[in-house]
Parts: sequence; structure tokens; C-alpha cells
Amino acid sequence: MPETPPATPDGRAPGVRISGLSVVYRTPAGELPAVSGVDLELPPGTITGVVGESGSGKSTLALSLLNAVQPPGRISAGSVEIDGLGDVVALRGEELRRARGRHVGYVFQAAQNSLNPLKTVGKQLLDLGRSHGVRDLRALVREARELLGRMGLDGARVLDSCQHELSGGMRQRVGIMFALVLNAHLVVLDEPTTALDMITQATILRIVREVHAERGLTTLVITHDLGVVAEVADRLAVMYGGRVVEQGPTRDVLADPRHPYTRGLLRAVPRLTGDIGEARALPGRPPTLGTIPADGCVFRERCPLRMDACETGRPPAVAYGARSVSCHAAAENRAGPEDGGPGTAAGDRDGEDGAEARGGEEVAAGAREEQA
Amino acid sequence: MITGQGITKTFRQRGAVLGGREVRALRGVDFAVGKGGAVSFIGESGCGKTTLGRIVAGLESHDSGEIAIDGVPMSSLRPRARRPYFRRIQLIHQDPYSALNPTRTIHQALAAPLALRARQTGRPGSWIDERAGELLGLVGLDPGYVLPRYPHQLSGGMRQRVVIARALTVDPEMLVADEAVSMIDVSLRLGILALLRDLRERLGVSVLFITHDVATARYLGDDGELYVIYRGRVVERGPVEAVVSGPVHPYTQSLLSAIPVLHGLEEPGAQRVVPTEPLDEGGPDAGCLFARRCPFATGRCTAEVPVLGAAGGFPQEHACFHPERRSVVAAPAGRA
Repeated sequence: MPETPPATPDGRAPGVRISGLSVVYRTPAGELPAVSGVDLELPPGTITGVVGESGSGKSTLALSLLNAVQPPGRISAGSVEIDGLGDVVALRGEELRRARGRHVGYVFQAAQNSLNPLKTVGKQLLDLGRSHGVRDLRALVREARELLGRMGLDGARVLDSCQHELSGGMRQRVGIMFALVLNAHLVVLDEPTTALDMITQATILRIVREVHAERGLTTLVITHDLGVVAEVADRLAVMYGGRVVEQGPTRDVLADPRHPYTRGLLRAVPRLTGDIGEARALPGRPPTLGTIPADGCVFRERCPLRMDACETGRPPAVAYGARSVSCHAAAENRAGPEDGGPGTAAGDRDGEDGAEARGGEEVAAGAREEQA
Repeated sequence: MITGQGITKTFRQRGAVLGGREVRALRGVDFAVGKGGAVSFIGESGCGKTTLGRIVAGLESHDSGEIAIDGVPMSSLRPRARRPYFRRIQLIHQDPYSALNPTRTIHQALAAPLALRARQTGRPGSWIDERAGELLGLVGLDPGYVLPRYPHQLSGGMRQRVVIARALTVDPEMLVADEAVSMIDVSLRLGILALLRDLRERLGVSVLFITHDVATARYLGDDGELYVIYRGRVVERGPVEAVVSGPVHPYTQSLLSAIPVLHGLEEPGAQRVVPTEPLDEGGPDAGCLFARRCPFATGRCTAEVPVLGAAGGFPQEHACFHPERRSVVAAPAGRA
């Protein structure tokens, strides 16, 4: 590896390969896994959404991209290979500090609150520039102003403002500006729209998509909200109990979820149309650090398809075309008629949930016609 | 059980720099929540829905208009005499991070109001711990894990559930839930909503639900009512299903258009209403307050104030000169 990491050439989005990543937190009960054996690839130029509830390990996973897991946590195994940067797990000290910001832009959870309340946005921008040894601070300010303008804000005015003078949606855009202003091409957005209104959220998500395309980024969005992922992400990874339980193209996963957790999660989100009675809460609750089962499937406590195999064997990730699912029950299902091609996938759907869902849809459609 | 008529509220910011800016949070709002009813206030932050919720809970004064509880006008009572009325209405705070005292364990947070309750009802001291455990179980928490802990040791979602449990300690007749599930884990939200629905059905507890998530409002009950609030005025009001399936006010349509579509599972609505301006930073107060951002506004809209009413034969009331149903809501995929 070169002494100083080369800047990623403009317009070239880096790919990221996370392999066997485990992060543990030291507790009085010993070291407990927050992230456990995660394999995830972010193809260059794509937006990947990681969906999970609190304690799923999604934020810890995101921090690992910066090698920024704080003690008592530590990356205990695996690697995070970023094009043009190498394995960030191996980076230390100054190298790491420079990589953050220059290569990897990070918009923190609740970016609304991550600004210094006593300094104007402009002053904080200059601090950022100095700490990264930017020589041409004027150019940096110009770039920031352009970025803010691109996001529909009056750049000059925002740079002269303190946090309290900006609305939630404006602060979120300031957060995105800070993540991009040093020309990072890998951007991590942790809960980018939490605490924002619907209309503002729609605006921010549109901005994320547009800026992603215009600047040629690789983007990772961490969220608890399936809707956010559905709106922006090309690919979706569902996390539960520190593991990725299902991943694949967003549309495919939403149309035909294979993992019982993904199914349960989708069913637990109330929708605007259709029979609201079909919405079902998932029984039980997500595991916390101390209650994640050490062996077997992490979801089994809440799973309607629980089998003996789920108690001891960790379900391997099984590929179904572009999809990968870690579930013993899904794997067994697949072993039947076989082949997992698109045809079979559609067939499966008719056979199981499809029939039930269709029935509901017909009722809803009927009700709708009556109203019209 | 509680009604409001012509409620107004203006916040005055004192400050030399701004020269005392005024924020008109509520501009004459009428509402009614019946016993066991489910009413949802929908709108963006700053629309006044939180202020209205606080007024309903007796935590905020209003400038003009009348609040009546069980037919008793609150203006006819001295502040002290109002207290027992408002005690029956409990607010579940928006922010679970500031709603709990950081120096007290969850046990202490629940035991204080329960001790009072035990004294009032002549129950033994042992009831306090028993009831605390029961309430935590009700909101989906493990009492053994939660009770000895401090708020900072819990996740945001757990904290909010503790707040809900605390609101239930006084056996309220009405819960004002201000964004109460927005910080709770997605797989558990429905459980909390089902709990609120259950409390309605079994105990006749009314729920006033304040949210920007229309779909969750729908889950509270098909007999629920929706109030869409924009800059301190109700712009559309009616049965949840009527407003959601056929919104007629362009602001309601913008809100519903902004809801993410689960592509693959759903098809987007045929139409989409996007405000012409992303944010409203005040602007003139004449006419319809949404006119400045409305893609369908005409001269009349900026000159005249539209009044909430039933014009046009829609099942809901609206305050728009040009009401028109638009199908902005996503439908399940696979439906023609």
C-alpha cells in the first residue's frame, strides 16, 4: 500500500467489500457481538440501504467503514476493503484520520444535533478544512456554497448561520454538505431523515439520489425505515441481531421477502391502502447486546417457522440469484421443487403468502370501487 | 369528552434583534374528542399540532376560544379547580430523551406517581411494585431488566415505552400521544399502536394522536377522525378512510404524496402533488395560508380566507376553494 492513500479519481465511485466483519463490545459479561460475521458488498456507484431496528448492529456496521468503533467496542475479525484505500481495519492514526472526510464522508445520525451550537456553519467549515490541511480555504467555501445551493439553500446565508437558526431539514443538508465538501466518493448516511417531516423527508431523499448520481458516489444509507430504503436504495440489506439476514435488489426483496424477519417487518408497517387489519406486530422484541443468542439463528425466538436446525446451526447465506438469505426454513423450502430461478420464485409466492395477499387485495379493491 | 372552539395561540418572541417576532401557532381551531374516540392531528412540525396537544392536556394556555371537558367550560373554573379535569388527560411526550429524569431509575420514575395513586385508592405499598411491573409488561418491556436501570442505559425506544407506562400510572381517560411511536422500533410500533387501540376498546380511553405519519393514524381505528393542520388552521377534517383514500385539499395531497412508496410491493399513486415551494418561511397571512406553495392556487386563494366546511359533497370537511379528489396514495402492487 502507498504511504499516503491516493485520492479516488473524480467521478469514480469506490467499491466496498465487507468480509466476515465482527465487532464486539466489552461488557462485565464478557465480549458480546454487536456485528457478527457480516459479508456485504457495496458495488461502485450504487446506493445500498441497511435496514435494522435498534440493536441490530447497523450503526456499528456503518462506523466500521470509518474504522471508528469506539471502546469498549472493537473490530474483532474481518476486513473492510475500500477501493483506493485498502483495508480500513488495518489503518491507524494519521492515515485513518485523513481517510475520514477525504474518502469516506459520514452524515451522523441526528445530523441536526451534530453541529457546534456556538459556531457558524462557515466557521465549522474552516475548522474542517484546516484539520485536513486544505490549502485553498476560499475554494472550500466556494464548494460548500455550491453544494448548499445545489440542495436548494442559500449557501452564503447558511454559512453565516448558527445551528439554531436552521430548520431540521436545513441542518440535514448542512450535514450532507460537510460529508461531501472534501470530495469523498463514499458516503455513509446514518438515519438521514429521522425526525424530519414527510415533505422534508421526500425532499432530502430526492437530494440524496440526485447528488449521488451527479457526483458519482457509492452511498450507504442506514435506517430503520423501510420506506426510506425503498425510495433511494438499489440494494437492500436487512440486519437483525448483528447479522445480515437477507440482502438483494430492493425491489425483489420488497416484492418477495424470503426471510421471516423481512416478511414480519414488512407486515408490521401500517400502509395507507389495503386492509389495515393485515398489519401485524412482530411478536417478541429485538434482542439486545446481552440477549443475542450465541449459537443458531438470531431470529428464532420470534420466528413462526422455527425448526430444530435453528437452535444450533448458524444459518448460512444461501444465494437465490441476486439475493442472499440466511434462513434454514427458506433453504429447506427451496430444496423442494428447486431451482430458485425467477420463475420458481413467482410460483412460490402464489403458493404461500400470495394467495392470502391476493384475497385481501380483492376485498380492498372491491371496497374501493364501492366508494368511487 | 373534550371540545375546543376557536382556539388561538400566539407565541411572542422577545428579543431586541428580532424586535419581538410573533408566531401564530393556532388560528382558531375547533375540535372534539369523544369518550373512547380516536382523533389524529396530522401536519408538519411547526403547524401547531403539538401546541394544540399541550393545550388539550392542560399544559399550555390559549389566547382565545373555549375548552370544555365533559361540557364544563374551563374558563368558568379557577386554575386549581381545573386540575382534576386535566389530570384525566395524560400527555405522552414527543422526546423520550428529555421526558425522564436522568438521575432516577425507572423504578423511581414509576413508583412516584404509583405511590400517590396507591394513597388515593387505599392500596397497600406492595401494589406499587406489582403495578409497575404490570405496566412495563403492557408496553412490551422486561420489568426485571428495566426497573433498576437509569434512562441513559435504555435505548430511545425503550425510554419511550417507559414514558407511556408512566402516563398509564394514573389510569387516564385520555392519552395525548405526541409522535409517541416515532422513536420506537419498527417491529414494535404496531404493538404500541395496538395497545392504544386496545385501551380504547377495553377501557374506553380516548386517544388523541399527534403525528406526521398518516398510516399509523389509520391503524388506531376505522372509526377514527383525521384533522390535517397547516400553519395553525385545520385544512381538512373527516373520517380517516375518507381523507386518506380521497384527499381533496392540496396540502393533504402533498403530505400523502411525500410518503415513501415500497416499490415492488406497491405502485405509486397516479398523481403526485409537490408543493411549489419546499418550505414556508412565514409569508403573507392573507387568504389561504397554503396558497404560496400550492400548485393549484388562483387569485381568489390569496385574497380570501377559505373556511372549513362541507362544500362539494365530499364525505369530509375542507378549507379549499378548489377541492378536487386526487389519487396520490400508493396502492398494493398487482392491482389493476
